[in-house]
Amino acid sequence: MSSFNIHGVPVSSGIAIGNAHLISNALLEVIHYQLDKNEVPSEIKRLSRAINEVRKDLLKIKKQLQKDSSDEFSAFIDTHLMILTDKNFTDKPKKIINKDSCNAEWALKKQMDFFVSKFEQIEDEYIKERKNDVIQVVERILKVLLGHPSQSTQINKDNSAILVAHDISPADALQFKKHQYAAFLTDMGGSTSHTAILARSLNIPSIVALQNARGLIKNNEQIIVDGNQGIVIINPSEDILKEYQVRQNLWGIEQKKLSKIKNIQSKTLNNEKIELLANIEVPGDMQSVKDNKASGIGLFRTEFLFMNRKELPNEEEQFKIYKSVARSMKDKTVVIRTLDSGADKLTSADTKISANPALGLRAIRLCLSEPQLFNIQLRAILRASKFGKIKILIPMLSSISELRQTKLLIERAKKSLANQKILYNNNIQIGGMIEVPAVAINAELFAQELDFLSIGTNDLIQYTLAIDRTDDRVSHLYNPLHPAILKLINTTIKAGKKYKKEVSICGEMAGDSKLTKLLLGMGLKHFSMHPSRILGVKKQVLNSNTQKLGSWATKILNTKESETVETLIRKINQ
Amino acid sequence: MIKKKLKIINKLGLHARASSKLTQLACSYTSEIFLIKDKNKVNAKSIMEVLMLAATKNTIILVMADGIDEKEAISDIEALFINYFGEGE
Repeated sequence: MSSFNIHGVPVSSGIAIGNAHLISNALLEVIHYQLDKNEVPSEIKRLSRAINEVRKDLLKIKKQLQKDSSDEFSAFIDTHLMILTDKNFTDKPKKIINKDSCNAEWALKKQMDFFVSKFEQIEDEYIKERKNDVIQVVERILKVLLGHPSQSTQINKDNSAILVAHDISPADALQFKKHQYAAFLTDMGGSTSHTAILARSLNIPSIVALQNARGLIKNNEQIIVDGNQGIVIINPSEDILKEYQVRQNLWGIEQKKLSKIKNIQSKTLNNEKIELLANIEVPGDMQSVKDNKASGIGLFRTEFLFMNRKELPNEEEQFKIYKSVARSMKDKTVVIRTLDSGADKLTSADTKISANPALGLRAIRLCLSEPQLFNIQLRAILRASKFGKIKILIPMLSSISELRQTKLLIERAKKSLANQKILYNNNIQIGGMIEVPAVAINAELFAQELDFLSIGTNDLIQYTLAIDRTDDRVSHLYNPLHPAILKLINTTIKAGKKYKKEVSICGEMAGDSKLTKLLLGMGLKHFSMHPSRILGVKKQVLNSNTQKLGSWATKILNTKESETVETLIRKINQ
Repeated sequence: MIKKKLKIINKLGLHARASSKLTQLACSYTSEIFLIKDKNKVNAKSIMEVLMLAATKNTIILVMADGIDEKEAISDIEALFINYFGEGE
C-alpha cells in the first residue's frame, strides 16, 4: 500500500482520520440500448414505477425530517419532490422512450443533459448551482432503475468513516447526517455546494473539487483529511499518522478556545485597535466572512470572475457582483483588486505563452495594454462604489509612471460615467499592491501618490528572493522570515506612517498567527487574510502589547539570519 | 384574465426554495398561471420552468392568471413576492 496525497478545495476546516467509504455514482453507469417497439410500453411503466418509488422515499425522508425540524433540508427535499412531479421533467423522458425506443435510463439522462445545459447558460451563480438538484433527482431515479439499493437502506455505524462521493445531494446529505461521517470528500463542488454547506453546518472537515478521488481512493483505505489545507493523505505512514493525531487534538482544543473570542473587539492589551479583514475570491465566500466577524474585505480577488468561462464578464455582471458584496458589508470597507492574472487565463486576450509568466504581461501591465478590458472593470467598480465603502487596489505596480497611467484611466472612466449621468463615489480611494521589490524600496514615493498601500507578501517574497514557489526544487528556499523581506515590509509600514496612509498586508503572512506579534511590533494595524484565519490572529492580537513589541521587532530587524529570527519568534509565542 | 407586474425583492431571487414556494402556491389554484420575464413565458406550476427563468433580485415579472380563482391567485402570489418569499431578506 503506497502512500500518496491528493489536493482539492477546502470548504470546511478541521482534521479527520478514518477509512474511506465510497459512494457509487449511478450516472456513470448509464448505457444505451435499443428496444423493440413492443417493449416500449413496459419500459415506460418501469420508469413510472421508479419515479413513484423515489417519490415515496423522499416523502418518507420528509416525514422523518419534520420530527427533527430541520427547516433547511426540508426545503431541499420539497424542491426535489417538486422536480420529480413536474410534468416538464418526467413526461419528456417517456416521450423520448416512445420516439427513440431506447431504455429508460438513457432517456432520463438525455432529458437531464438538456436541462443541465440550460442551467449552464444562467448567469446567476446561485441559480446555476441548482442544476445539481436536477442531477441528484435523476441519480435517485437511476439508482432505482439500475436495481441499486437506495441510500436510505445503507446504514453506516462507524463514525470514523470518511465519505468519498462524486457529489452529495441534499437527500443523501440528510442520511449522512445521521451516519455521522467524520469528513466529506467529493470530486465535484465549490464553496456553495450542498456538500460545503452541510459540512460547515456539521462542523466536519470537507474538501471538494478533488476531480477523481473516487477513482484514486479504494473502499476502506485509511485516509487523513486536512480540511485546513485541502490535502487528502491516502495510506499515511506511521509517522504522518501520529503527527496528524496530535494535530487533530490540538485543532479541537484550539477551536473551542477560538469560538469564545468571536465577538470580542480586536484590540491589543494597550488598547490599540487592529483591523482584521478578509480575503475573498467569489461572493460565495461572504458567509465565512460574516461567520468569522471580519471587519471588512481587505482583498477581493476579482480574477476568479474572469476564469473558466467562454466570454469575459461584462460591465453589468461585474457591477452586480461588486455591488452585492459592497451592500452586504454595509459601512465596512471592501477593497476590490483589479484583475491580477496573466493573459493565459483570459480567453479573449492574446495567449502567447511566455517563458516566465510571473514576470510577464500580467496584472496592471495586462490591464494597461488592454485598456478596454480595464475600462469595463473600472466602470463596474466605480458604479458599485455608490453602494458601500469600496476602494480600488492596483496589483503589481512597478513604477510611478504606471501608477499615473492607471490613475488617468480611472479618471477617464469616472468622466465617462459622469457624462452618462451615472452615479459613483468621486472620492473613491486608490491603493497599490506592494509586491514588486522596486516599489517596496521606494515605498515613500508611492505612499505620497496613493491613498493606501497593501503588501502582497506572497509575490514580494517570490520576486525578492527570485524563487518560483511552484518549482519543487527551489520552493524550500521560499522564506517569509528572510531579513531582506522583513526589511522591505518594515520600509513600507514606515512609509505609510510618515505620510499617514493605511498599510495592510494581504498575503499569507497576515494570516499566519505565528507572525502576528512580529508584524504588530513593526507597526502593522491592518491584516487581511482568509476568513478562517481571523480568529487565530485575533487571539494573538488580544495577547499583545504593541509598545513592548516595538523594541523586540527592532531586534529582529537587525538579525542577520532567518534561523535566529525563527528562534526569537518561537520564544515569544511560547 | 388578470395581469400584474411584480418585483422580486428577496436577496437570492427565484432560487430553489423560493421557486418551490411559488410553484406550490400556483398549483393550489385551478386557474392557469404564467410568469413572463423579458420574452420568456413559463408555466408557474412547473418548478423546472420557474427555475429556468433565472430571475434574480430586482427582476420585474409579469404574472398572468386566467380562470375562476384568478383574483385570489394574483393577490396571494403578490403577497408572497412582497413577503420576500418568506425568507426575511
